[in-house]
Amino acid sequence: MRREAPKSFADYTPLLFPGLMLVVFFVVPFSTMIAVSFFKRNPAGFYTPDFVIDNYARFLTTFFAGVLGFSLMLAVLVAVCCVSIAFPFTYLLTKRSRRAQTLWLVGLLSVLSLSEVIIGFAWSTLFSQTAGITNLFVALGLMDKPVALLPTFGAVLAGMIYQALPYTILVLYPALVRLDPTLLEAARTLGASPVKAFFNVVTPALRNTIVATLIMVFVFALGSYLLPQILGRPRHWTLSVLITDQAIYQSNMPFAAAMAVFLVLISLALVGLTLLVGRRENAL
Amino acid sequence: MSGLDINAITKAFGNFIAVDNVRLNVPHGTFVCLLGPSGCGKTTLLRMIAGLEEPTSGAIVLDGEDITPLPTHKRNLGMVFQSLALFPHLSVGDNIAYALRIRGASKEEQKKRVDELLTLIHLPGFADRPVAKLSGGQRQRVAIARALALSPKLFLLDEPLSALDAKLREAMQVELRQLQQRLGITTIVVTHDQREAMTMADLVVVMGHGRILQAAPPIEIYRKPADAFVADFIGITNLLPAEVDSAGRTTILGTAIPGLAMPAGVTRASVSIRPEDVHLGQPGSRAITGQVTFVRDLGGTIETFVEVGSTSIIAVATPRERPNVSVGAKVGVTLPPESCVVLGS
Amino acid sequence: MNRLISTQVSRRSVLGAGLATAGVLAMPSILRAQDKSLKVGVYGGYFKKSFDEHVFPDFTKATGIAVESVAEPTGEAWLVQLEQAAKAGQAPADLSMMSQTSTLKGQSTELWTPLDTSKFKHYGDLLPRFINKYPDGRVAGIGAVAWWITLVSNTDVYKEAPTSWAAFWDKANEDKLGLLALASNSFLLEVTAKTFMGGTNALDTEEGLNKAFEKLAEVKPNVRLWYRDEAQFEQALKSGEIPMGQYYHDVTGLAIADGFHVRTTFPKEGGIQDSGNWVLSRASTKVDEAHAFIDYMSQPSMQGVMSRKVGTTPTLKKEVLDLTPAEFASVSSDIEPIIPRYDLYTSKADWINQKWTELIVG
Repeated sequence: MRREAPKSFADYTPLLFPGLMLVVFFVVPFSTMIAVSFFKRNPAGFYTPDFVIDNYARFLTTFFAGVLGFSLMLAVLVAVCCVSIAFPFTYLLTKRSRRAQTLWLVGLLSVLSLSEVIIGFAWSTLFSQTAGITNLFVALGLMDKPVALLPTFGAVLAGMIYQALPYTILVLYPALVRLDPTLLEAARTLGASPVKAFFNVVTPALRNTIVATLIMVFVFALGSYLLPQILGRPRHWTLSVLITDQAIYQSNMPFAAAMAVFLVLISLALVGLTLLVGRRENAL
Repeated sequence: MSGLDINAITKAFGNFIAVDNVRLNVPHGTFVCLLGPSGCGKTTLLRMIAGLEEPTSGAIVLDGEDITPLPTHKRNLGMVFQSLALFPHLSVGDNIAYALRIRGASKEEQKKRVDELLTLIHLPGFADRPVAKLSGGQRQRVAIARALALSPKLFLLDEPLSALDAKLREAMQVELRQLQQRLGITTIVVTHDQREAMTMADLVVVMGHGRILQAAPPIEIYRKPADAFVADFIGITNLLPAEVDSAGRTTILGTAIPGLAMPAGVTRASVSIRPEDVHLGQPGSRAITGQVTFVRDLGGTIETFVEVGSTSIIAVATPRERPNVSVGAKVGVTLPPESCVVLGS
Repeated sequence: MNRLISTQVSRRSVLGAGLATAGVLAMPSILRAQDKSLKVGVYGGYFKKSFDEHVFPDFTKATGIAVESVAEPTGEAWLVQLEQAAKAGQAPADLSMMSQTSTLKGQSTELWTPLDTSKFKHYGDLLPRFINKYPDGRVAGIGAVAWWITLVSNTDVYKEAPTSWAAFWDKANEDKLGLLALASNSFLLEVTAKTFMGGTNALDTEEGLNKAFEKLAEVKPNVRLWYRDEAQFEQALKSGEIPMGQYYHDVTGLAIADGFHVRTTFPKEGGIQDSGNWVLSRASTKVDEAHAFIDYMSQPSMQGVMSRKVGTTPTLKKEVLDLTPAEFASVSSDIEPIIPRYDLYTSKADWINQKWTELIVG
């Protein structure tokens, strides 16, 4: 069937609602943020409409570069870990019975209902010296005495992976369910063991899905600001933590906006780069 | 012993018996078609041969070796799937070379074999094309070439031509048969299309409800169907009730058919007679009298529908022997006894 | 958001529960429709509940002025709203409870109607630190509620109570402290200045501030947790996971009452006293009623009620109060408090904040 190009205004009406939503929930807030990022900060009061670049200038220091670098590194690491865990997991899940799949998905959805705060506190208890998991290891004779596993980078990473994993699985699930199971079988009849076939047929066949999922988890992890505070030391605080400090505790909206704009631009640039590299590889 | 031996294979999914105690011997180099309606167990049987399903009981022996415990990737077979299952991220050449690459063959070796196979399937120079850019028939051939890359002992195809349109399908049937004969490879095709089976197979295996109903060369299946199910499934047939009358003569629809003998002790049975064996003529005492209800003139053949009581009989004739009948006319139907097959109950 | 999991409702709002609460505004509960009325903004949650229960009904009974209490959001969101409403001649609340920093910020735009102190019978009994004045001497706010941040410790881990803030610098306490994460709510610069530099006046100069930052940097190895969320530290303190730190005197008192092995100590340098003011929006027309309310709240008997029922520190001199020594000790101390240098958090806010962040993150 051939689709005809829209001719009259009425042909565009199906686009009106999504377009409106995009404007209301994205264009307007984001434009406001960009505008505020150029406003003048008044330390005794709030801000006054203006056009100054001080807010961006303040950001361009090695200190913020370090924090930004850490935030990006953390988000990339969370994305890579999540996809490495979720992809094989989801694949195996799609091989289970419908009932088992439903149970797992309902379980994962219920994890999504946990707020970042609850996840943070649960993990801080789990990693604590007094009530944490190491007490179990001691009871099992694996360790001599319980230790605190937080605040550490590992604790931050574990918490964030835990938080992002259900999203990752739910994003990967439809693609893996739709994946033609005979692709793997074909590889097996051609002499590939199931594990080999998984890596050189299933994984590359879903390359675009994997890249899209990586980007989604990356962006998701970039916005995390509670878990780094609860599970990490100050040097594990992300840029989002500092943005929150500025916006909520210092009432410095212009600077917070400038940092947020910067973060968005850097993330967009990274996402764009990923897609560009992906396209070039595909073309080969 | 050379060839494939399927030894009392059974596959149960819970309470459902998909394949029920199937025994089959396929001599080396034979082209076998597993034929039957959907759900008859033919695909499950093929998948067990491939190692993609594990039999509940029984053994599969290939050239004297019991391959039942071997995983698929160690069975040395090539398989073409109904979906074709071409790897979307690989080019035509890389798809075909996949099995060689898995085994660590050198680049030159891979290229040489790919070129060989592309020539074999009449697609030379296609190695660098992405599979998404191929037509249905081309994809079909690439899937076949990929399965044959390692010169396997066994070539399995699961409804391989079902996605093609009718004309292309017929052409591919011939091509596939010719390819198989050239390579001399033991081949098993699953199909529900009896025409396809008749075209390609040395041996047609008709299955129903998980069992083999008849395994024989195509013409024998056509001429001597083992039962009503096979007779009805293979081609068009007339299934008519026959009984032995008080004088010991075999009668069909009340008319005696001299020369048609029933097995000893059987007084009632179904008789199958192919439409092209039914002769129409003037009504007479030696013929069954009926009335023509419809004539379908297809140019190449003419089908005449005759009603005898509540039974409908179809007769097929070529234009040369065109019976001179018209709708509503009374005709005499003659059934040559040598063409009548008395079916087991 | 932080509050959801806190077992005790937090009493403070200066910490700023953030945007989540900012949306939940103005849910007025009207006590009685009368001729004279007053809208009073109080920190949402514990404070609003306590005021609705122990303060407003009696005030209405005593003065005939109906009170409509408004839950104010935390942080500076309420200040922003008052400011913007005042520009339009509106007052979402006549009187509001306002943090010291916010009071100072409101002064810069003359947001607060100067108060006529002659209408407060006990004005002379107010402790000077609870009178917030414009630079020219007009009174911008009168102390509403006050609380202490003290040196807290887990009694299982520390058998002896620490006596000085200097304990934070003790090498023996490596990785054992929980401190508030922001300069403007931990007041650790003031603590450093009072403990090691002779008083908070040392922070007058940039040089003094730099020295305080340097000294404070020595604390870093001892800090296990820089917290924004009260519940997080409270839980760790109770379990002994993080056995020492700075925390709220009143909440710690509740934990002790619940049987947890924790203690709160007024160090010899003094506890940190933070407070909120009653301020009157310049857009409000209820000037007389507002004065009547502040006057009512500043009576010794009301301060006693507040200490006993709400747990706040009295804003009046100890001599005029009707509190028993035990009651007084539970909400205050005779040791001279460390009064935060709120001026720094308006005049040098960004500079201090930047240095602070670099100090703890870097």
